[in-house]
Amino acid sequence: MSRPRTYRPGMRGWWQRHPAYRRYLLREGTSLFLGGYALWLVAGLLCLAAGEAAYGQWRALQGTPWLFGLHLAALMAACYHAVTWLRLLPLTVPVIRLGGRRPSDRALIRGSWGVSVALSAALWLYLGGGWP
Amino acid sequence: MAGERTITLEVQRFHPEADEAPYLQPYTIPFSEGTSVLEGLQHIKDRLDGSLTFRWSCRMAVCGSCGCMIDGEPALACRAFLRDYAPGPVRVAPLDHLPIRRDLVVDQSDFLAKLERARTYLIPADERTPADGAYRQTPEEMADYYDYAQCINCLLCYAACPQYGWDQAFTGPAVLALVQRYDLDSRDAGKDARRAVVNADTGVWGCTLVGYCSEVCPKGVDPARAINQRKPASVADYLLGWLRPSGGEGTP
Repeated sequence: MSRPRTYRPGMRGWWQRHPAYRRYLLREGTSLFLGGYALWLVAGLLCLAAGEAAYGQWRALQGTPWLFGLHLAALMAACYHAVTWLRLLPLTVPVIRLGGRRPSDRALIRGSWGVSVALSAALWLYLGGGWP
Repeated sequence: MAGERTITLEVQRFHPEADEAPYLQPYTIPFSEGTSVLEGLQHIKDRLDGSLTFRWSCRMAVCGSCGCMIDGEPALACRAFLRDYAPGPVRVAPLDHLPIRRDLVVDQSDFLAKLERARTYLIPADERTPADGAYRQTPEEMADYYDYAQCINCLLCYAACPQYGWDQAFTGPAVLALVQRYDLDSRDAGKDARRAVVNADTGVWGCTLVGYCSEVCPKGVDPARAINQRKPASVADYLLGWLRPSGGEGTP
C-alpha cells in the first residue's frame, strides 16, 4: 500500500524556536573561548621555546586592552561552562550505590564542586610556591 | 452566553491531497477555567469545522495520543489549559521534527520501527512459566528503572530534540530511555541484544545533551539522564571490543 504524502518541516532557524536551544548553544559556545585560550597558552609556550625575546613580546601583549578583554571574556565563559558542566554531571553518572544508597544529584554536584575547589586551591598554592 | 470568555486558536492545517504546505487557520471558541486545549480542538471539530484532524483518546495524560506544539512548546493537549494562554491567540501545530500526515497528526512509523528494533521488552535469562512463581525484586532494584518505565510514547521528547530534527537516523530520547529501562531491570537479561542499538553512532552517541527532552516529558521520565548515564558503559564496551579477538559485537 502506498503511503500518503507527508510534509516535513525543516530545521531552518531552529535555535529561534525555544530558549532551551539558545541556552544549549551558549553552553556549547563557551568551549570556543576555552579552546581559544588554550591555543593562546600554546602560543606562549612556543614563544618561550623560541627564546627570551619572543617570550617577552608574548608577555608584553598580555597588557593590551583588547587582549585583556578577551581574557575577561574567556574567564566568564570558563565560569559559565564550569557551572553548567557540573550541573549536568549527575545525568552522566551510571547507576551506582555508595554505602547501599544512590547518591542524590545535589550530593554529586556539591561533591564535584568540593573536589574542583580543592584541586584549584592546591594548584594555586603550588604555583605560588606556598605548597608543598 | 453573555460574558463568556473566548480565545482564538490558530491551528496549523495540512491536507496532503489539497495543500502544498501547512498554513494557519484561526478559530475563536468559548472557554472556561477548566477547558483544556484538547477540549478546544474538540469544540472546533464538533461545532465549527469537522475537517480538522487530530489524535486523542484518554483525555488525562495517560495514553500519549494528543501531543502537539502549543505556542511552540511540545505538550499534551489534554494537559494544557486555555486559561494559561489567555487572552491568546494560542498557536497549535503538529509535533516538531516529525513528518505531518494531516493537520495535527504526525507519522509515528519511524518511532515504532525503532521501538521494535531496540527490543524494549523483558528478555528473561531463563524460560519461565507461571508455575515457577512470580519474579522477586526489591524496592531498590525497582527504583533503578521505575522513572523510565513511566514513558507513554507520546513523542514530545522527539519534538524537543534538535538532533532528531537534523538526523532521523538518531534512535532518539524515548526509545533509548526505554532501552535503559529494561537494561536496568534486575529481571532482564537482554542487554546484549540491545547493545548494538545503544552503542551505534545513532544510539547514545547521537545525543549532545541539549536536555530539552527531559523538560517537556509529561511523565518525568528524564530521557537525557537515561541516555547519558549509559555512555560510560558504551565507552567500556568500545574499549573492551579492542581487546577481544572477535572485535566485540556492537562497537561503534
